[in-house]
Amino acid sequence: MAVKIRLKRMGQKKSPFYRVVVADERAPRDGRFIEEIGYYNPNVDPSEIKFNAEAAKKWLSTGAQPTETVAKLLKIAGIEK
Amino acid sequence: MYDSKVGNKRRLVSRLLSCVFGSCRGEIMDEIFKQTLLYDFYGELLTEHQKSVYEDFIFQDLSLSEIASLRGISRQGVFDLLHRINKSLENYEEKLHLVERFLLLKKDVTAIEAELTRLKASDPDADVSEMEQIITHMREMI
Repeated sequence: MAVKIRLKRMGQKKSPFYRVVVADERAPRDGRFIEEIGYYNPNVDPSEIKFNAEAAKKWLSTGAQPTETVAKLLKIAGIEK
Repeated sequence: MYDSKVGNKRRLVSRLLSCVFGSCRGEIMDEIFKQTLLYDFYGELLTEHQKSVYEDFIFQDLSLSEIASLRGISRQGVFDLLHRINKSLENYEEKLHLVERFLLLKKDVTAIEAELTRLKASDPDADVSEMEQIITHMREMI
């Protein structure tokens, strides 16, 4: 099963934050996801980026494909395969 | 805050935004936060079709080709559409400055709050309940 690591917008209007989720590539948009592996909160100063590093590494090493934005977050958080 | 000599207003706005967006790290992350806020403020001015495409892009983080295949249109078509939407959202902001004002006000309220916390710490007997109420109210308003 091809999986992707995406952002998913949460939070109220005008104060967005994003969950980093692992989701089935073939079912975008339906809201289901396999696992939440972190979040990005741009509302605070400095913005908060948290990852469950173990889970993130596990998914990356099993071939889950991060989107461009998630790849950027992973890089900032210093997580590699 | 405004320098009338600066002819290029767009550059000024983006400079202002980048100072209030100073909390963000890296350009891409900056970008998604900015686009989300622009959408939260001006999204209702877009057509239903534009809204659904833009939401897939910034709320679900779908790629251009995913958005395209979901709708049976070309990737290039999605690219153009997103480009046009970005343009119109930025155009609204350029005229109305709602996002810019929102971020600056939010920063100010946070600063007031910090000041109040300091006051409370230095004078435990100070009655700050009314000020706290005003801050809560302001947070709801902006």
